[in-house]
Amino acid sequence: MTAARLSLQTVATAAFRLRELGIAIALLVAIAIFAVQAESFMTVGNWRNISVSVAVVLAVAVGQTMVVLTRNIDLSVGSIVGLSAFISADTLSTHHGLPIAGVAAIAVAVGIACGLFNGLLVTVGRVPAIIATLGTLYIFRGLVHEVSGGTQVLAFELPASFKAFALREVLGIPALAVIAIAVAVLGAAMLRWTHWGRDFYAIGSNPEAARLAGIPVARRVLLAFTISGGLAGLGGFMFAARFAGVSASSGSGFEFDVISAVVIGGVNVFGGVGTVLGAALGALLIAVIENGFTLLKINEFWKTAFQGFAIVTAVTVDALVTRRIQEALRQRRRREARDAARAEASA
Amino acid sequence: MRRTRDSLGLFVLLLVALAFALGGCGGDGDEGSSDEGFTLYMIPKNVGNPVFDLTNKGMQAAASELGDTTEFNGSTEADAQQQVQVINNAVGQEPDALIVSANDPDAILPALQEAMDKDITVVTFDSDANPDGRSVFASTPQAKAVGDTQIEMCGSQINYTGEVAILSAAATATNQNAWIAVMKDTLKDPKYSKMKLVTTVYGNDDPTKSTEEAQGLLQAYPNLKCIIAPTTVGIAAAARVVTQQKACNKVIVTGLGLPSEMRDYVKSGCVKKNALWNFEDLGYLAAYAAHEVAAGDIEGKEGETFKAGRLGEVTVDASGAVYLPKLLIFTPENIDQYKF
Amino acid sequence: MTASAIAVARRVVARWEFVLVLLILAAGTWSTTQSRFFLDTENLLDLMKPYVFIGLMALGLALVVIAGEIDISITSTLAVSAVAFADFWDRGLNIWLSCLLGLVVGMGLGAVNGVLIGLLDLPSLAVTLGTLAAYRGLAFVILGGGGAITGFPSDFTRLGLRDLGSTIVPIGLALFLAATAVFAFVLHGTLFGRYVYAIGSNREAARFSGIPVDRVRVTIFAISGLMAAAAGLLYASYFATARADAANVALLDVVAAVVLGGVNIFGGSGTIVGVFLAVVLIAVLRNGMGLANISGEVQSIVIGSLLLGAILVGNLMRAARDRHTGQGFLMRIHERRLQRGKHNRPPRTRPGLGIRPTKGAR
Repeated sequence: MTAARLSLQTVATAAFRLRELGIAIALLVAIAIFAVQAESFMTVGNWRNISVSVAVVLAVAVGQTMVVLTRNIDLSVGSIVGLSAFISADTLSTHHGLPIAGVAAIAVAVGIACGLFNGLLVTVGRVPAIIATLGTLYIFRGLVHEVSGGTQVLAFELPASFKAFALREVLGIPALAVIAIAVAVLGAAMLRWTHWGRDFYAIGSNPEAARLAGIPVARRVLLAFTISGGLAGLGGFMFAARFAGVSASSGSGFEFDVISAVVIGGVNVFGGVGTVLGAALGALLIAVIENGFTLLKINEFWKTAFQGFAIVTAVTVDALVTRRIQEALRQRRRREARDAARAEASA
Repeated sequence: MRRTRDSLGLFVLLLVALAFALGGCGGDGDEGSSDEGFTLYMIPKNVGNPVFDLTNKGMQAAASELGDTTEFNGSTEADAQQQVQVINNAVGQEPDALIVSANDPDAILPALQEAMDKDITVVTFDSDANPDGRSVFASTPQAKAVGDTQIEMCGSQINYTGEVAILSAAATATNQNAWIAVMKDTLKDPKYSKMKLVTTVYGNDDPTKSTEEAQGLLQAYPNLKCIIAPTTVGIAAAARVVTQQKACNKVIVTGLGLPSEMRDYVKSGCVKKNALWNFEDLGYLAAYAAHEVAAGDIEGKEGETFKAGRLGEVTVDASGAVYLPKLLIFTPENIDQYKF
Repeated sequence: MTASAIAVARRVVARWEFVLVLLILAAGTWSTTQSRFFLDTENLLDLMKPYVFIGLMALGLALVVIAGEIDISITSTLAVSAVAFADFWDRGLNIWLSCLLGLVVGMGLGAVNGVLIGLLDLPSLAVTLGTLAAYRGLAFVILGGGGAITGFPSDFTRLGLRDLGSTIVPIGLALFLAATAVFAFVLHGTLFGRYVYAIGSNREAARFSGIPVDRVRVTIFAISGLMAAAAGLLYASYFATARADAANVALLDVVAAVVLGGVNIFGGSGTIVGVFLAVVLIAVLRNGMGLANISGEVQSIVIGSLLLGAILVGNLMRAARDRHTGQGFLMRIHERRLQRGKHNRPPRTRPGLGIRPTKGAR
């Protein structure tokens, strides 16, 4: 019994390794096509652009990965990005002396508060995650409007040091990309080596079994939502730095980029399976395709359509593969049981 | 089970009653009916756009001269569907006149007609609606002048040769489209024959979207010589992107920009010329026009004249429009004179 | 026993609808303080006009949710149908034929969801999240960008704007009432309706009792798509414009209407009358808040809170009922106090708070 479950996990993990490999191949193919078709694609400047646009998505996607692993979803991240971006940038526009780390801290704090609220709704309030975060998607967005009173934070209101931050580079890599990579590496390490990180997988694979095994399910889910909120807050800071300006509608629709990155990257919407690496590859694939479309002068709305189809395809493939694996395992288990019975009978 | 539902209902009711009690406290008590002055209700394309704060200021100045009261309310995004809701809600408050900048001339027409059915004066400003839905349109300087000036500002800086792109606001904005049409027409002039309009993109007057569109232009058109942004949000975003990518010498940015927002870019030499009119005057003119129509002095017919305070006498043209006379061009030399 | 249970259930439902009526009256009273126009009969009828498209989508979604699924792609289906209809008309087709084709397009998109969910057995949340983006993109592709198609003949635009014949009832409202009647009949009066409830309560049990589960589920999503398409036509008519970004912020109102209407978000129960009343409630609330110059996004805070509040309060009450066989959570708090030795008297139970004495718990 234990052996069978173990092997299910092993086989599933192996299958989803393949899944990441698949995304990596798709990514390479896309890069190859664009490199041939668009002359300016393989330039340093262009990859700098890609790395900056993937950075914000990636930072937020790491948190979303954790939420989805626990068999939940966070639709409100776009609004959290907007709220934290606005509050932090607005504070900075009136307090020019604020250090950049302070701006980031404000944004992350706003995000954590939002994430905690989501988490409490889902765990204590027992509202299904999809409905809870659909509600807060609009509530947080409404708050942005309420806080801003319809005004915008414009670039000329922000201090020069903040505007220079997004242009700064470390070893030729834009600062925002460095932040995103750090978040991703840290997130991957947490999921792999901390016990609460591994609990996310257990909860997503089988919430009942996780509860019986003594995992504090509600606390872990709350943690996942809080992390997701905090990282969305960090995303808000990065957003404000990248555009050096925030309006009340900043970040709306952003949840789609994040969720499609996670789902396309092989994080299973049924929970329990997926990695930060996969989500990162998914985010990169989307950013590369968006950039390539721009260079080839293909209209941006094709990107939305592509993302939607990619989500549906990823969900379908994941579900069918999972089902195939389960079916194969069930048959093997049945065969083993039969063999064992036969051996007993002959003995 | 029944009682559970029962009490649930009571609980919700209690909550809602509480919410309303709180909301009621916040509501202001000024009821529409005024005997002496009119209530002028301005609905901009969107709120939070600095130019409409200026038109609001202009309207308030006119209203204080005329003894009218004012209201100012709009949707947060420059979106026709949201604007229809704002218009419907405004009509419910029975103002004497609506002063509207249209996000889409046709989509808001039914809502404006309903207002006129209820004997509310409708005047448009900045961006016109379908003429069936308003009496007078208080316009920015003639579209021809606005379009021509921008093409000339662009051409004179690129030796009248090379690729040009337009970064506009919403794809349905009336005034933007009128200017773009003029610009396309002007480009047919032999003087501009070597200038090629490669694309028009739409930033929806949102800083984020406008920034992305400007970045996209630089990526997709490596030989681009000039970006014309006939919108204050667009030109600020384009100037910032070009500065950031250190392309000021390669790509010219011009268009319609607020001096306060453009000052740094103009002085650094990255945006050598841009133009605009005084938006405060536009709100002022629109308020006077609305007052005159509400008082029954004019109807918006060709040849009618009225005195618009400090702007002097204005005449309604065949399309029912009155115009702001002057287009101001800002250069590094003169930009410090302008404080808006 | 079952008969009496059904009778009780009916009365409970009637109760919830009664509460909705009270809420509508409360919201209406508040709106009256905002505008002298509000109580005008014509205004009362007219105020539903901008929300008819929400109502049509809510009817379709109610069916889906009662069957234990969710469809969040409806607002995008609306956009595709509206844009496709306008495109057919723009290419010279007859306006009513274009309407029909628009409806077919919407039903087809719904059926695609249905096949993926019903036949391939994929989770409806993930599938419709994907099609939400895919269909929205499709709407832009059909239109070739961010523009709009306008200039529909007045025969068509009067659907969303004008009154029925010489009455003062807007055509849109009449259509919504008719659709409500049809849905109420289908759901509460036909075999198909009973299948929907059965599948929503327990899909496996429904399958074992011989209900064609797969077929019913595909049909439900096709109906949801059809209703979104009908909503799209009314939307295009009301705004006299077809745009690819149509109704992109309407999802909250639709979901809130279904949940506030008393439909169990986990499936298996709910009534059409409740959904209808919830749509009216949302319309009155938004109308009143609009009159008070509260912006649309801030109104969404109120609607969103109502949505979450309705589920939260429901869950709280259910939890209170389930724990301690009929004893509420107050009793539990009391027990904890007992353990700490602070009190030794049970709390007085008040029927109005859902707490019943132990004896005769049923």
